[in-house]
Amino acid sequence: MSDYLLALRAIFKRDMIMYFRYPVNVVFNIFEPFVWMLPVYFLARSFMVGGENLGFEAYSGTTDFVSFWIIGGIMSFYINSVMWGMGFSLKNEMWLGVIETNWLTSAPVLVQLIGRSLWGLALTTFNGSAALLIAWKLFGFSFDGQIIPALLTMVPMLIGLYGLGFGLAAVVLISNDANNVIDISSFIIRTFSGQEFPVTVLPRVLMAFSLILPVTYAFDAVRGYLIGTRTLLPMVQEQLILLAVMALFVSVGYAVFRRVERSVRTAGNLGHH
Amino acid sequence: MSSVITVFPAVWAVARREFKMFFRYPSWFISLIIWPSLFPIGYIFVCKALAGPNGESLSTYASYSGTTDYISYILIGTFMWMWLNVMLWGFGQALRTEQIRGTLESNWLAPLQKWFLLLGSSVYDMLRWMMFMVIAGIEFYFIFGFRVQGSLWLMLLVVLLSIPSIYGVGMVFASLVLWAKQANTPVNVVRGVMMVFTGMTYPIAVLPQWMQAVSRYLPLTHSIEAARAVAAGSGLKAISGNVEYLLISGVILFILGFAGFGRTERIISQHGSLGHH
Repeated sequence: MSDYLLALRAIFKRDMIMYFRYPVNVVFNIFEPFVWMLPVYFLARSFMVGGENLGFEAYSGTTDFVSFWIIGGIMSFYINSVMWGMGFSLKNEMWLGVIETNWLTSAPVLVQLIGRSLWGLALTTFNGSAALLIAWKLFGFSFDGQIIPALLTMVPMLIGLYGLGFGLAAVVLISNDANNVIDISSFIIRTFSGQEFPVTVLPRVLMAFSLILPVTYAFDAVRGYLIGTRTLLPMVQEQLILLAVMALFVSVGYAVFRRVERSVRTAGNLGHH
Repeated sequence: MSSVITVFPAVWAVARREFKMFFRYPSWFISLIIWPSLFPIGYIFVCKALAGPNGESLSTYASYSGTTDYISYILIGTFMWMWLNVMLWGFGQALRTEQIRGTLESNWLAPLQKWFLLLGSSVYDMLRWMMFMVIAGIEFYFIFGFRVQGSLWLMLLVVLLSIPSIYGVGMVFASLVLWAKQANTPVNVVRGVMMVFTGMTYPIAVLPQWMQAVSRYLPLTHSIEAARAVAAGSGLKAISGNVEYLLISGVILFILGFAGFGRTERIISQHGSLGHH
């Protein structure tokens, strides 16, 4: 176990060094939260009646669309971070020509994959905090709900996402393509789980799809706790769904990745891209 | 100076190489089909939620935008933005990917003006974008019921006039990527800034005065504005101001793009840092 922690620490440190090696990243990352928040803020303004989003209240139970959106946005940072961190890292290592060498080390591939997401998560936490600060100061973001249950709700979502990340990494190994696989899947998950709007606005077919996605319940419960929106189900039921899906995703994702890993090792095409 | 005879085969060779790689990864086809309707759909549902179940907030939106048809409004804005996005990734990644693969220096040694390498990949981007435009048109028509009330030829003119400025921005961007040795973050920021200032999903009338002033300088604002006006049935006279701005800014940005890339090329060659990443 301590060997694994050592490997995780080494990967985290390597990714951090590489990140700071490109100062432009650091500078631009400071501006990024603004860039993603402003369009939605102005879109909300174009629908405001007397300074409030009254139309939105009928769907969600709150007129505070900006806070609704910011909570979804920050949770999505984490979804993106895990999916890109695990899926894209493999493609990047293929390009750099180091994937075969890394797989020859004694650190298990799954540990390496998890390690590749850690720096992204740390950065996401920093960016998310900056976004919250900006949103609070400039856009009137506020919440008066329960923060601890909200954070606890996010834990099974994140662990479940790791399972999904294993599955995605397997798809990247098979297709040798990361950008489209990750971009499309993360966009679909985020959009139809209600990152930006209450899923009750969706037509029936799309709403049925959104109710299959576990992240829908995470968005819904966290907003319910923080800003008191109307939830789809009682929040305890939503948390139970998340726990069940977490176990399912991790076990299925793990099994799929191991199978694909064996297959590429046997075929000897790991480094092909 | 490279002669025309050597230039065309070189440009075509680069474009052909890009196409070969494109066909090698079938998932790119899926993205070409999915993105035109997937990208705007989130914004459309946000508008639907903000408007309310009975459209109670639509009148405010109409007072800013001049229309209650937020679907067409968003489709045009997101379409033009997606075009810029494709170009930014294309120009940005063209050289950056070669740096990572370790092939940029060897390609740089070819006896050609270096911007022909960019031109080759932009020919590929252009052809890919044309496919994207056709697919988007079909999907917008059948999925969202989008109809152009004005002249389709005028719409095509707006698109054609937007090409020089978008390519100019792309060339400036390629230089930036060579300097910064990073493509992802600069793309995210530049496309994000365009998203904020050009009124991709909302009328720029909701922006504060200073932001509206900035947005008037961006060619994409004029492209989106002109395309929306034509879609709503306006003629050439109504968009003449936008057309003039696109013509002038296109020439300026194109020249700036070439000059900036030439200068970057010289400096990077002198420093010997071309292959560094």
